[in-house]
Amino acid sequence: MDATLTTSKPNISKAVPDGVLAMIFILFTEGMLFAGLISAYIVNRAGAMVWPPADQPRLPVEVTGINTLILISSAVVLYLFTRRVKNTMAIDAKSTNLLLVTILLGVTFVTVQGTEWARLIGYGLTTHSSIYGAFFYTLIGAHGLHVMVGLSILLYLYFAVKKAANFEIAKNKIAACILYWYFVVAIWPILYRLVYFN
Amino acid sequence: MENTHHKQSFWSKYVFSTDHKTIGTQYMIMGMIMAGVGGYLAYVFRYNLAFPGKSIPFYGMLGPQAYNAFVTIHGMIMVFWVGMPVLLSAFGNYLIPLMIGSDDMAFPTVNMMSFWIFAVSALVLIASFFVPGGAFGGGWTMYPPFSAGGYLDPNPNFFKALFSGTSLLILAVALELVAMLMGGINFLVTTINKRAKGMTAWRIPIIVWFLNIAAVIFMFSVGPLVAGAFMLLFDNVLGTGFYDPHRGGDPMLWEHLFWFFGHPEVYVLLLPSLGVLAEILPVFSRKPLFAYKTIIYLALASAFLSVLVWAHHQFVAGIDPRMATFFSIGTILISIPFAGIFLAFMATLWGGAIRMKVPMMWAIGFIGLFLVGGLTGLFLGSNTFDIYAHDTYFVVAHFHYTLFPDIFFGFFAAFYYWFPKFSGKQLNSSMGKWHFWLTFIFFNGVFFLLFFNGLAGQHRRINDYSSFSLISREPYQTFEQIATICAIGLMLTQFIFIFNVVKSLRKVKTGVKNPWEATTLEWVSDSPPPHGNFNPYPEVFRGAYDYSLPDAEVDFTPQNTPKA
Repeated sequence: MDATLTTSKPNISKAVPDGVLAMIFILFTEGMLFAGLISAYIVNRAGAMVWPPADQPRLPVEVTGINTLILISSAVVLYLFTRRVKNTMAIDAKSTNLLLVTILLGVTFVTVQGTEWARLIGYGLTTHSSIYGAFFYTLIGAHGLHVMVGLSILLYLYFAVKKAANFEIAKNKIAACILYWYFVVAIWPILYRLVYFN
Repeated sequence: MENTHHKQSFWSKYVFSTDHKTIGTQYMIMGMIMAGVGGYLAYVFRYNLAFPGKSIPFYGMLGPQAYNAFVTIHGMIMVFWVGMPVLLSAFGNYLIPLMIGSDDMAFPTVNMMSFWIFAVSALVLIASFFVPGGAFGGGWTMYPPFSAGGYLDPNPNFFKALFSGTSLLILAVALELVAMLMGGINFLVTTINKRAKGMTAWRIPIIVWFLNIAAVIFMFSVGPLVAGAFMLLFDNVLGTGFYDPHRGGDPMLWEHLFWFFGHPEVYVLLLPSLGVLAEILPVFSRKPLFAYKTIIYLALASAFLSVLVWAHHQFVAGIDPRMATFFSIGTILISIPFAGIFLAFMATLWGGAIRMKVPMMWAIGFIGLFLVGGLTGLFLGSNTFDIYAHDTYFVVAHFHYTLFPDIFFGFFAAFYYWFPKFSGKQLNSSMGKWHFWLTFIFFNGVFFLLFFNGLAGQHRRINDYSSFSLISREPYQTFEQIATICAIGLMLTQFIFIFNVVKSLRKVKTGVKNPWEATTLEWVSDSPPPHGNFNPYPEVFRGAYDYSLPDAEVDFTPQNTPKA
């Protein structure tokens, strides 16, 4: 992303690389997006007479609990990847495999979520069956969309890291991309607690 | 990437350019075109208000539905498609790299994409006039049930609902916000990481500070609006009931999410223009800016307060009176930092050697008009008065007295000031003065009398008062007619500006680097600045406002002059 700077161009020492800084600002905005969604949900739930509505199916707490562990473990594997590349100052097959494991765990999470959605729709929980369903699909769907974006970012990182095969070239990209995934993982337990436990 | 020696084609130089100056110019031209569209809409509905039931020249008959759509889209355009691109994107793109001594933005490609997403958003907005049912007409605030009411249907036809005026408006706003977000991130990263050597935080010109503070306010407040906008879109196209009380939803939720963004947004629009004043006033009074650091602290304080005032738009919407008092206090508190900033501006003028050039006239006109807007805002901030004046022409006059000087006087001040820099040519100053005085007089002619109409009880969303004998009585109908005639005058006046620009662009380049004898870095570069801006890159040794230093030979000392 950084063009090579000639000596005549301004080149102040950057405490934080451009890409990481931009990612921090993006995640700040994303955090406010989720804050908006979550506060709308909390306010609405607080005003409801019965929550969840009597005729609506219950949410799959146990399966999603296991799925939560899968998502968290993906962040742990991603941490192992960054620790390894930082310690060895190099990119080898073992470290790229760790990145691949992270992606596979993320894909597993999305797949489980998708099959659970299909079952819930079968039981009659849809966007227009109740406000309960509307909030469920909006909140969890917003997160799911972010997981998919996160997976695309990690996939991009996987190929970029493989191509660069050099820690110094890839380190700024790694630092920016992993932030997004950590954000996606960090926000999930909050949503799980708020939406699945009533 | 492999072929780096190709010559820049027409497309890559003027259309899909990644140069921050070209992108800034594109944003400005797009904003001016949209201002023309918004102005035309205003002309049509103002004509209808003054002469109800008459055929409107250059339009025809205006029905109530079209009237509502015109008022709504006029507001939308002026805030999102004129104010935002011109004040934030055009100024930010053009000025930030030049004023901090950088060659370009941190992410030039993202910058280019930002403009083209913005251009698409403008097309989607215009397209919404031509779908079945026409453009959305429920007010620019898009309150449900107006914005969800036509489709409060648990099983809407997805595509029919998607191609309605309401959905297209939501999509257009969403795209516009994405474009602005990309720009805002670019501003912040550029300012933090691409400053010239020696450009420390307390040497950055105020306008760059203010553009960045505006970007942070925007990023803080836009998330909840996007959340609310998606929920509104789902209500329309998927049949969710977020804002439908029959199904457990709440229309007040939208008002909170909208105004959580909507009110900080006015400070997003105000700060860049105040930054323009902070650049212009010292140059034309040959004095250092008064209280540079205090101005920045005051702006940060106002940024903090700006997210605590939103519900003052909802005093009549049925919120808890205790909450209304809290928001009244917050609203009145926020006038303190802005009063401080204006006081610092006036102290800058005090005892200065004032040069009354055209940019300075716009700057001073801004201060005068904004005072009227600010003071009437104090009345409205108090919930006891607001309950009486809510949704009347008093409110309309109030926010036009804030936003018109902010968007247009701020823009014209900046345009007359920086035009020699970005074209290398000088605008005709007597035409500039005509433009200023006529705009100033006609603007007051449009909106001053409307304060009285509002206090008399005229509601802002009625297209024809003739069936309401109590509020269409004289002199208020005459006031409407005076306002409309002045509005037409105001729009015609802008042709002086266009003529002046076209005529000046056809002149030969004078290429004067620093015609106003200013100190900031953009005046060090050539006029117009070349691709890459500086050669060699400047090093900064002093603050941005060193005018009339006691031991200096001339009364301005540019930022790249080493200290003795």
